[in-house]
Amino acid sequence: MVQLVGSLRKELADSLSACRVLVVGAGGIGCELLKNLVLTGFKNIEVIDLDIIDVSNLNRQFLFQKKHVGKSKAQVAKESVLQFCPTANITAYHDSIMNPEYNVEFFRNFMLVMNALDNRAARNHVNRMCLAADIPLIESGTAGYLGQVTVIKKGLTECYECQPKPTQKTFPGCTIRNTPSEPIHCIVWAKYLFNQLFGEEDADQEVSPDTADPELSWNPADTEARATASDQDGDIKRVSTKDWARSTGYDAVKLFNKLFKDDIQYLLTMDKLWKKRKAPLPLDWLEIQKLVPANIQQLTCPQEVTGTGLKDQQVLGVAGYSQLFSRSVETLRSMLADKGDGAELVWDKDDPPAMDFVTAAANLRMHIFSMNMKSRFDIKSMAGNIIPAIATTNAVIAGLIVLEALKILSGDVEQCRTIFLNKQPNPRKKLLVPCALDPPSANCYVCASKPEVTVKLNVHNTLVLALQDKILKEKFGMVAPDVQIEDGKGTILISSEEGETEANNSKFLSDFGIRHGSRLQVDDFLQDYTLLVNVIHCEDLEKDVEFEVVGDAPDKAPTPPSAQEDKNVANGNKDSAEPSTSSKAPAEQDDVLIVDSDEEEPSSSTMDVRMESGGHKRKLHDAETGEASAKRQRLDQPLAADEEDDDIIALD
Amino acid sequence: SKRTMAVTKASKDQKYDRQLRLWGDHGQEELENAHVCLINSTASGTEILKNLVLPGIGAFTIVDGHKVSGQDVGNNFFLSNNSIGRNRAQAATELLQELNTDVSGNFVEEVCVFNYEHTCLRLGSVLWNANIPFLVCRTYGLVGYMRLVVKEHTVIESHPDNALEDLRLDQPFAELKNHIQSYDLEGMGKKNHSHTPWIIIVAKYLEKWFSEHNFQFPKNYKEKEAFKQLIRQGILKSEKGTPEDEENFEEAIKNVNTALNPTKISSGVDDIFNGEQCNDITSQTPAFWVMTRAVREFVHNDGGGNLPVRGSIPDMIADSEKFITLQNIYREKAMQDASVVSKHVESLLQSVGKVCETLFCKNAAFLRVVRCRSLVEEYSVETVNKDAITSCMDSADGEMVLYLMLRSVDRFYQQHSRYPGVYNYQVEEDISKLKLCVNSLLQEYSLNVNVKDDYIHEFCRYGASEPHTVASFLGGSAAQEAIKIITRQFVPFNNTFIYNAMSQTTATFQL
Repeated sequence: MVQLVGSLRKELADSLSACRVLVVGAGGIGCELLKNLVLTGFKNIEVIDLDIIDVSNLNRQFLFQKKHVGKSKAQVAKESVLQFCPTANITAYHDSIMNPEYNVEFFRNFMLVMNALDNRAARNHVNRMCLAADIPLIESGTAGYLGQVTVIKKGLTECYECQPKPTQKTFPGCTIRNTPSEPIHCIVWAKYLFNQLFGEEDADQEVSPDTADPELSWNPADTEARATASDQDGDIKRVSTKDWARSTGYDAVKLFNKLFKDDIQYLLTMDKLWKKRKAPLPLDWLEIQKLVPANIQQLTCPQEVTGTGLKDQQVLGVAGYSQLFSRSVETLRSMLADKGDGAELVWDKDDPPAMDFVTAAANLRMHIFSMNMKSRFDIKSMAGNIIPAIATTNAVIAGLIVLEALKILSGDVEQCRTIFLNKQPNPRKKLLVPCALDPPSANCYVCASKPEVTVKLNVHNTLVLALQDKILKEKFGMVAPDVQIEDGKGTILISSEEGETEANNSKFLSDFGIRHGSRLQVDDFLQDYTLLVNVIHCEDLEKDVEFEVVGDAPDKAPTPPSAQEDKNVANGNKDSAEPSTSSKAPAEQDDVLIVDSDEEEPSSSTMDVRMESGGHKRKLHDAETGEASAKRQRLDQPLAADEEDDDIIALD
Repeated sequence: SKRTMAVTKASKDQKYDRQLRLWGDHGQEELENAHVCLINSTASGTEILKNLVLPGIGAFTIVDGHKVSGQDVGNNFFLSNNSIGRNRAQAATELLQELNTDVSGNFVEEVCVFNYEHTCLRLGSVLWNANIPFLVCRTYGLVGYMRLVVKEHTVIESHPDNALEDLRLDQPFAELKNHIQSYDLEGMGKKNHSHTPWIIIVAKYLEKWFSEHNFQFPKNYKEKEAFKQLIRQGILKSEKGTPEDEENFEEAIKNVNTALNPTKISSGVDDIFNGEQCNDITSQTPAFWVMTRAVREFVHNDGGGNLPVRGSIPDMIADSEKFITLQNIYREKAMQDASVVSKHVESLLQSVGKVCETLFCKNAAFLRVVRCRSLVEEYSVETVNKDAITSCMDSADGEMVLYLMLRSVDRFYQQHSRYPGVYNYQVEEDISKLKLCVNSLLQEYSLNVNVKDDYIHEFCRYGASEPHTVASFLGGSAAQEAIKIITRQFVPFNNTFIYNAMSQTTATFQL
């Protein structure tokens, strides 16, 4: 490290080699970060990642090679780094950071934690662990050409959850099942269908016509017509889709006719739905086959990729997709059979037969509902919420992370910045936009001294299980919540100990005396986090909305004035069920012009270059009018996710 | 072998999936056909190459005569302990090559003596005359520096933000006019009415507006509001007289402002048309200029003053049939226009450029030409951009001072054959020596600016070190510029980029 002593003072260099740091994630940013850390003089590094290596990682995750595909990212990353820097002391965990083993004590082993994650759930969790352990955290993300780095320190800065993140756009069940109007509705339907047929069945992922559509007011004549139709269509209500498919031996033609003919004919009987809409057109397998040109088999056979241009980028037509449907059903059927009884397939956008199936099913449905069909390439973007990812952006961001780390280790957290990387120099010719860190938000439901939140829901039809899964785990990011009702008796509603309160799951909140104004004390032992939930009983929530957090209405948040509405933002919520609503390039945030607020002294003390400040250091936040609000918009957009995944949402 | 090729292609598509979504198949092809040369495999150098090898550059050649030192191993990921003493170009090539078997890695053992200024200026003028882009990259302590030197770089796909659609509603071409005529909004049924594309709606109400307003286009805010109101009145009413929920009409109203932008050629493209390269077409003229000229001919002779039709329309609420018909009208017109341009190309030259004209015509409105100043111009006392330097030095702690400091340490090197502060025991005396260099630089260029002593101390303390994390940043940024240049997509910076790793700020200057 001869070279570094030149620019880092000796004490800092010494503390680097002594301190222990944690890197969460060994993907695009993680690989770059590990390299930068060892070459900057960090000696004791622990890295955790639960992912395994995929071919599509190799264009940027340079610690991995083709021979490593399928192996643990953390483990291979460690081995590759050690080959280059044998003196480093690296511990690798092939595990989820949300595993209870990594408790507050574990986090206290580190001087500093650096996130290189791709999903919001894990980001929320690490944020809480670092707050609980009072360890500084550097958070980062990239999406295409854009990137962001920020520093979180308990009591000093905003935490990851201080600013509400826009929630994932979800689609009402009846839009997916009955009245799709955008390609994304058909893609979501096709992904649900995959799970219904080959994967884990989920009651929230129904694909058959929904007779409880609120648009259908009750009418005896309708019901009669539907009852007749129902007799003919393979009994959609009485057996599950999977059982039915299995009973046909996954016969592709029967499946095709059920999904694209019978179910559609059934939908047509709900004529109220089609008064204003264009009615869907059922497809018949035999009719379509008459359209199949002799050479189509070749055209769509996956092995026969020839010529220029991506096969992926062609749109095949109804006949082509019917063929693709039948072929992919056959492939998936045999994959499922090979796995043995009771096995399930997991949908993965990088798994060709699974992607073929979704492409075919989504396109057929789009055709039925008079939408323009899309190429496999576009559908993959939407279905997988793919965020483009390149080596260059990750290299830039990882470089910035280590510089922020050096400031923290020099005791200069105040000098740290939130830094945004633009696609190209902005009108003020800045590629990077550093902003001062904001103080914690007093109302934050995570880092406030006594976190409190108010939730509107209907106590008569909200199940205890829904409170646990949808509100406490999904919305408030807890891992294993305990809930006590503040009713003077301290009734335990939910216990994280197995076997204690499962019986409560299928009861409604009102069964336990919870009503308007009730207060629930929620604890997550692992996260060392207590949240007080005020319940507001509400009977007129919107259709398909189960609950609403007061003061957290992203739809009503101010949106930037210009053409922002079409634009997507990567938000890192891999775990949420709903994918993107648009195939457009993600996260083009450049048009939100940030007033660059960092025109002050070089923050020299960081690197121990003592320079006299000209005395014109200013508080960044109120330096210029409008600055705070401009920046706020930018910050409201959550951190982008490196790579894959599953994280684009529409900000509209 | 066809099958092998097909399989290779498929596996490449999979490997490069995440980047194809940024620069497309043709961008990837350009990248795979490119050969870059790296001079000196320093930490910054190998970081840049790493970021080009991973996405699949065709080939690289490293030129370096140094032997690998312990220092190199300390900050360069692609040099390891057991390569100490070996040729640095060879050692780095071997490890970089491991990153991607699709890339051809080469090296030349050749000493490039790094008297920085001298070498850059010489190399710069050779490459300038050959019109080969030259990117000078440097990590000096906590400062990153890049300088792009290219006489002319032409960009077809500049990927502008917020580009307007090319709909020609102010001057509809014949086929579009006929298609608009085929719609009868009053006479059609409810279902068709609410599935008519908004482009047709706006066009229909424009006709109405013209007849009521003396054939004047709605121009100002007030008129546009009135025009929106006119469209709003067209929304069907229910039996009770309340307006129906017609999303396509709402979409039309929302799009009025951008749709009514008059079709015209931007001043940037007009400048390109009027450039001398466009006037004097010879057998040596690059394809870009031949096609630009052909498009200009089209504008003057066939397009009635307008560029070829771009041929794409945005997604909108409509049923498939109506949408596809409308889309085809624009698409076919675009193909027609492109074939006219292609005839011009043919008559301009026997040999046609490599780029296909449809891509060119589609992007005709966004053509960009980047012309950098040469290094000689930057360094010569007569042509130095004094104004830029002086005005940027108004802020004493801006990035410009770092540029002046880099120039000063090079001056130091010329005088002392070493950089300031490389030996700890000399730091103190180097400070005053460096100060002399700063002053002589300012004097030579008659720059009336003040460089704070703090920066002189700071640069002495750097001792020409190359911290890896700064090199990582620079490697990412420089590789990104290289990809822009190679793929001819997006606009590279012009011409100097400075990164301050202390404050995490950057700036670009035209020097």
